[in-house]
Amino acid sequence: MTILTQKEKGARHLLMGNEAIARGALEAGVAVAAGYPGTPSSEIIENLAKVSDEANLYVEWSINEKVAMEVAAAASFAELRSICVLKQNGLNVASDFLLHLAGSGTRGGMLVIACDDPGALSSINEGDTRHFARLLEIPLLEPGDFQEAKDMTKWAFELSEMMQNVVMVRSVTRLSHASGNVVFGELPEVEKKARFRHEGFFLDPNEGVVTSSPVFYKHELQQKKLAKAVEAFEDSPFNTYSGPENPEVLIITSSACNLYSREAIHILEAKDRVGLLKLGTTWPLPPKLLEKYLSKTDKILIVEEVIPFLEENVKILAMELAPKIGIKTFYAKRDGSIPAFNEMNPDLVINPLAKILGIDYEAMPAEYVAQSQDFTTTGAPARDLTFCPGCPHRASFWSINHVLKLDNNQGFVCGDIGCYSMAMLPTGFSTAKTMHAMGSGTGVASGFGKLGKFGMEQPAVAVCGDSTFFHAVIPALANAVHHKSDITLIVLDNSGTAMTGFQPHPGLKVDAQGKEALDLDIQAICESMGAKVDISDPFEFEQTQQKLFDLLELKDGVKVLILRQICALSPEKKGKKKYEMAIDETACMGENCGCNRLCTRILRCPGLIWDKEKNTSKIDEAICAGCGVCASVCPEGAISRKEVA
Amino acid sequence: MTQILGSKELMAQVRNKDLCTACGGCVGLCPYHKAYKGKIAMTFDCDMAEGRCYAHCPKTETDFEALSQRLFESEYKGTPLGTYRRITAAKAGPKMAGDRFQNGGTVSALMTLALENSLIDAAVLTGKDGIVPEPKIVTEAADVVKCASTKYMAAPTVACLNEGAGQGYTNMGIVGTPCQLTAVAQMRLNPLNKADFKDITALTVGIFCTWALDTRKFLDFLKQRVDTQKITSMDVPPPPAEIFVVKTADETIEIPLDEIRAMVPNGCSICPDMTAEWSDLSVGAFEGKPGWNVLVVRTEKGGKLVDQAVEAGYLVLDDFPEESLQHLNLGAGNKKKRAQENAERMDS
Repeated sequence: MTILTQKEKGARHLLMGNEAIARGALEAGVAVAAGYPGTPSSEIIENLAKVSDEANLYVEWSINEKVAMEVAAAASFAELRSICVLKQNGLNVASDFLLHLAGSGTRGGMLVIACDDPGALSSINEGDTRHFARLLEIPLLEPGDFQEAKDMTKWAFELSEMMQNVVMVRSVTRLSHASGNVVFGELPEVEKKARFRHEGFFLDPNEGVVTSSPVFYKHELQQKKLAKAVEAFEDSPFNTYSGPENPEVLIITSSACNLYSREAIHILEAKDRVGLLKLGTTWPLPPKLLEKYLSKTDKILIVEEVIPFLEENVKILAMELAPKIGIKTFYAKRDGSIPAFNEMNPDLVINPLAKILGIDYEAMPAEYVAQSQDFTTTGAPARDLTFCPGCPHRASFWSINHVLKLDNNQGFVCGDIGCYSMAMLPTGFSTAKTMHAMGSGTGVASGFGKLGKFGMEQPAVAVCGDSTFFHAVIPALANAVHHKSDITLIVLDNSGTAMTGFQPHPGLKVDAQGKEALDLDIQAICESMGAKVDISDPFEFEQTQQKLFDLLELKDGVKVLILRQICALSPEKKGKKKYEMAIDETACMGENCGCNRLCTRILRCPGLIWDKEKNTSKIDEAICAGCGVCASVCPEGAISRKEVA
Repeated sequence: MTQILGSKELMAQVRNKDLCTACGGCVGLCPYHKAYKGKIAMTFDCDMAEGRCYAHCPKTETDFEALSQRLFESEYKGTPLGTYRRITAAKAGPKMAGDRFQNGGTVSALMTLALENSLIDAAVLTGKDGIVPEPKIVTEAADVVKCASTKYMAAPTVACLNEGAGQGYTNMGIVGTPCQLTAVAQMRLNPLNKADFKDITALTVGIFCTWALDTRKFLDFLKQRVDTQKITSMDVPPPPAEIFVVKTADETIEIPLDEIRAMVPNGCSICPDMTAEWSDLSVGAFEGKPGWNVLVVRTEKGGKLVDQAVEAGYLVLDDFPEESLQHLNLGAGNKKKRAQENAERMDS
């Protein structure tokens, strides 16, 4: 029993934004939830999976976001309520299906929950999913606080069923991962009966064929449904106004920026001068509502994160409404008042607001900025992003770097998405030289592998994790094999979706709900495609390097090396040391020619410390995971390992 | 003294300029410089201001005067053949009967004896894996002849000497090319003044060399023409032949020397040393006398070993005619001149 399934209506709980969304779905009687792990979205599926038996749900971690969307859509077609949960770039993956789904329409209420990551705190992009709502012509809802995260999710199902189309709910890291008070609503006892009706007239939305064809007919129908959503938005309780009747400035905002804007108004003590229109229904914008509030003043400050989405949509309406509401002056991204990259914060709202209001307030005085920069550079030790102690990736990239350097043909690694993305950094010995989307390492390598014709002799090595392998590498690998692309794929198999918190994937014997699942064999898949496959334990340097050398020797075709070693933080392994490590300080060569601190300067496992006074390395017992790898690295054999009994 | 720098400078001045001849002088000292398939690579960055890698390298600035003082206790004069006591013709003696050699077998005879009479506890030689040169540490006299014959390809032989120190050998002999023995000589200077330094080099036998081939380029070249597994011998017949001969059980392939020379590493073009000056003894083919070697005795220790070898029947000596000496002087002098010109061209 978790908080999420507590039946008591009106109870108040501290919930993380993602938990609030999960509770909203439960209050709506959701039956099916599918997604692919990705920060900041993962906790929604995780929490629903935990209560899947109790709340009679089917929850899965799908192989990728497109399939997740398809799985959720099937439930909708069978008249059940469903959600598909993903992070911003996951929506790109799902978007092909979603375009067609928006054209075909849905039956049971269906939501896409997209959690964006402005500022790319856990991403290598800050893609803005809101554009998809406009591109695919589906309604967009954006909760402005934790209560709304729950309430809006629940209401979105009703909206979806009312307009018979999929509805998008968009969160951001600061909402998904922060916590706030949420008052619970009723948890309904609903009968969940799945039935797909397909025997009616083929255009019948409830009993016909589910498809986006005939396109013109369906497209027009879709736009009519969207118009119904706009009508509902005109008096939605999720669009709120606070402030004076005739403010000097109107702030229009949504999502987490609602909180930043409120804080800015508070700090500037300007609540009597500034109006705040917080929109929850951000696409399509309700024109009457906008007319009402745009009429209140001539100065409009639009506060939103990343691209000027709200800004552009408001401006279009303002132009259309100009004969009635007059000419407005906008302060937003296009005039530079608000940055169009990185995440927002109250200071970034204060600066333009204070300027418009003529208030002399500097959110970050120059002196403060200089002092804080000084502290960060001199006061704290420099800490790079690094692999955890005992991480198999450190060992894998040690060997990969070794082999590519000794091969001496300027070979390189095409990186991919996972903890091992850090192979671009010193912790991965800077071996990765390209990195883009899930699976792109193998796809890009597949292309490099065909450039021999143009004189390219550098070996192209792709890496991917086990989860990424299933997500998007398989098609790229098939492409490479089919075209005899001369590449080596290294599967860094650490038995789980480690970066996002050990969610299961098709290579494991368990599913999201903890139930038994069929485990797909990566080796067998690669071999059946026709790749030459070998397996090694990355902690065994000599064997791993020899196998990689041997594979690189084979020209004209795809070679796969599976490096299998479970993640050091996995529940099975965490806290269990295989070896007790010790350093013989008298043997340690330290900074001398012949070593030059190889373990603490290059390997850089956090479990190793450089003792500046003694000029030797030592083991940090509290941090060392006992993997034993550093003993293989030391040129003097000064590091020893003893198996823990 | 020349200035000793570190790995970064070694990379910038030598390896990134493609001047490395893969002698192995920087290999086996640390985890950073390693040899693989005839090429030396740096695995990870080393930021030391001064390193043995740089100090040993024959392609960084070399202090010939210091080497001359250390090895010969005499001034460096820059003569074509370097410092020597005598030059003779030599070939393996009756003790070595039954073994076949590319030329006179003098090197094999000297190393066999050195191991047998315990002048050295191990010999660093360059054997073969197929046709690929493979440096190794040999401790049994009987294994010496297995490493005989010219390899024509660059090999990181000096690495074995570096590694041998760590394996507890105290008196090692090495057979090497001029660049390899230049590295060894610089190593013996204890360039970083390490307190725990021990000179474990007890005997150096040099081999005349006008060039070696880039191992990878040459192997790729051969693979396109012949099944390299089947190669039984490779040879450069004396001028004016201008060919390189590769033999298998089934065929004999003649390759114009110009095609072969295109695979010589750039580093060889600035090498001033034809006769392996920084050695106790150096040996080359006696071009006017098939089946014989030229033997240059440079040190007292080398001279004693030769005397013992003759006495014990390992070696047979003969006169080296004045005419041949002039010819050798000319060849060695020309190499020095070309090296100087090429180095100046690279600097400008």
